[in-house]
Amino acid sequence: MKRIVLVVMVVLAATLAISCGASNGKVQLTFLEVLTSPERTAMINGIIADYEKLHPNVTINLISPPYESADNKLTMMLNNDEKLDIIEVRDYTLRQFVNNKKLENLEKRLAAWSEGKDLLPIALASARTADNIAYIIPQFFYIKALFVRTDILAAKGITVMPKTFDELIADCKKVTNKKKGQFGFDWRGKSSEFKFSDLIQLSDVPNIDPNNIYKTADGAFSLATPEAQAALVKYVNLFKDSVPSDGINWGFNEQVNAFISGVTPFLIQDPDTVSLVDKQLGRDKYTVIPLPVGKSGKAVVDYGFASLGIPSYSKHKDAAWDFIKFFSSAKENAAFCKQYGPLPVHASTYADDPFFSTGVYQAWRTEMSDQDHYLFVKYPLGSEKWPAWPQTHEQTMQSLLLGKISPTEATAKFADYWK
Amino acid sequence: MVRHDRLLLKYILPVLALLVALVYFPLVKGLITAFRHYNLFDLRDTSFIGFDNFKAAIGDKTFSFAQIFLNTMIWIFASLLFQFVLGFALALLLRKPFKGRGLYSGLVFYTWALSGFAIGLLWSWIFNGQFGLANDILMRLGIIDSPIGFLSDPRYAMVSVVVVNVWYGIPFFGIMLLAALQSVPNELYEAATIDGAGRVTRFFKVTVPFVAPVIVSTTLLRMMWIMNFPEIIFGMTNGGPANATNILATQMLYKIYKEYDYGQASAISFMIMAILFAYSLLYLSATSRKERDF
Repeated sequence: MKRIVLVVMVVLAATLAISCGASNGKVQLTFLEVLTSPERTAMINGIIADYEKLHPNVTINLISPPYESADNKLTMMLNNDEKLDIIEVRDYTLRQFVNNKKLENLEKRLAAWSEGKDLLPIALASARTADNIAYIIPQFFYIKALFVRTDILAAKGITVMPKTFDELIADCKKVTNKKKGQFGFDWRGKSSEFKFSDLIQLSDVPNIDPNNIYKTADGAFSLATPEAQAALVKYVNLFKDSVPSDGINWGFNEQVNAFISGVTPFLIQDPDTVSLVDKQLGRDKYTVIPLPVGKSGKAVVDYGFASLGIPSYSKHKDAAWDFIKFFSSAKENAAFCKQYGPLPVHASTYADDPFFSTGVYQAWRTEMSDQDHYLFVKYPLGSEKWPAWPQTHEQTMQSLLLGKISPTEATAKFADYWK
Repeated sequence: MVRHDRLLLKYILPVLALLVALVYFPLVKGLITAFRHYNLFDLRDTSFIGFDNFKAAIGDKTFSFAQIFLNTMIWIFASLLFQFVLGFALALLLRKPFKGRGLYSGLVFYTWALSGFAIGLLWSWIFNGQFGLANDILMRLGIIDSPIGFLSDPRYAMVSVVVVNVWYGIPFFGIMLLAALQSVPNELYEAATIDGAGRVTRFFKVTVPFVAPVIVSTTLLRMMWIMNFPEIIFGMTNGGPANATNILATQMLYKIYKEYDYGQASAISFMIMAILFAYSLLYLSATSRKERDF
């Protein structure tokens, strides 16, 4: 019996020591990532190893839940105040964590951080997305651009790249030869498909409110404007004329596959697609160009980001901040983005490193600097109607593409949802 | 007697404690959540709202509940029927020993060990309407001229996900029924043969009655599992196109994973439980009567 009691006590003491994270004066930080993929996890582990070498009294335990359930796992852990010190927060999840008071205000720390001044204006704006308070430090940006299969277009005699969506749509139609399995446009039919239709539809609307893509400057519902309704018909026709009917069920993987196999030579995607396409295709067969613009003379470009934050209840906030500073430094951030693909957050990176201002990355550089043609817009991520919107849009759009409802009915459904 | 009772109580207490902690507590908590406004998006307001979650789930404007319910029924009964018939056939084929039977059964039963999501992703490539293997084979055989949108055409989407579910579920019935078949005493067949029973008669008068209890319990179990098995659909169609393959279980997962609405998700899960409960009662009362008939 005594022995059992002894064993139980030892086990309890050990668990306590681990859960307090302070065995032998060492600080143990727990870091949860959400955009998990094997290569990316390996890169993060590399940065952690470098940091631990420089700070022998700190160990960082990385939790990498599967991508599909990671946001939910993080939400649950935060709501139960489970041990977490550094968390990856996405633009989609930021609002709910702030609502539930789970994020530490980083304003003071950001002000005292020397490299903070080097952050791009768009990065600072993103940091202050919620209530205009910096709860997070952005790490990567995802901005769409147009991937083009130059080899296929050259074979079809198209050498001038489309500058407007109407030109793009005309090119797509020209390339399409359904009998030979050749199509024009790389469709997105499921999982956040609204980002693609909104881009084409709302770039035709002249006065989009940059703070809410679904509003115009005078407060009207943007998807119901005459320009957007006309563009919706155009979008449906693009599907009918230049896209395999299977596109209705395409997500990211199918899109990339269709581009690499050459079924569709025009693909709108984020910069993290570059490394995938580089590996499987090579840069002699494709390039990336700035997004075409709509009838408004601009393209309404949304930007997604991933960031790091500190839970409000963390017991090691200073240590966590020190790691975030290391992770977000221009040097680490640039190296990470080079391997992984998305756009870095420091102004100096674009100035010093030709990698991000030449080659295919030139497209994004143009979009970020040409304010006459590119209007950066935000989604109403703070609205309580937001979480259910992507699914609602997907179902409605699929019904429209299948001919079950008319474009007018689809618009009415959208308007009804956001009423 | 009192001492005996206490002893008994001591024996069952650990199990009871585990049951309460792991089954009944979450169950009751879930039931309470179904009547609360409980959205992780904003936990500042988690007040009780009566039947609003149920009303919202049933009256959903985008996702027709009637269609989801119908989809669920097709998903369950089409899957179950073909899984059972083909699984039974497989078990009958594997009953007689032949060379390499062990290896062959291992290969056949392997699919049962795969994860639902993995199967969904694998088959979504096979059924891809543009580069899919299924289309390629059908076109090479000259059966079709142009590719079929198995997962993008609402006419084929449900059939396609059911086919995959059948493929996945056959081994379960195969394993269970094979075990049951191997326990049928050979003397019964011999006696039946002497009495002049042919193959068909032997099958229906000896085999089926003998394995009937296994059939009853496996079909009931399987029905419950299929109803609560959204992974394949999630991996293949996301419930689309246009709600065509959305079932109660996928809708519940949407509410949790995409909308963070645990209130509505709990409401749907209780509808699922209520349906399963009612079905089990009906099924068991019907089959117990039938068993007595044998």
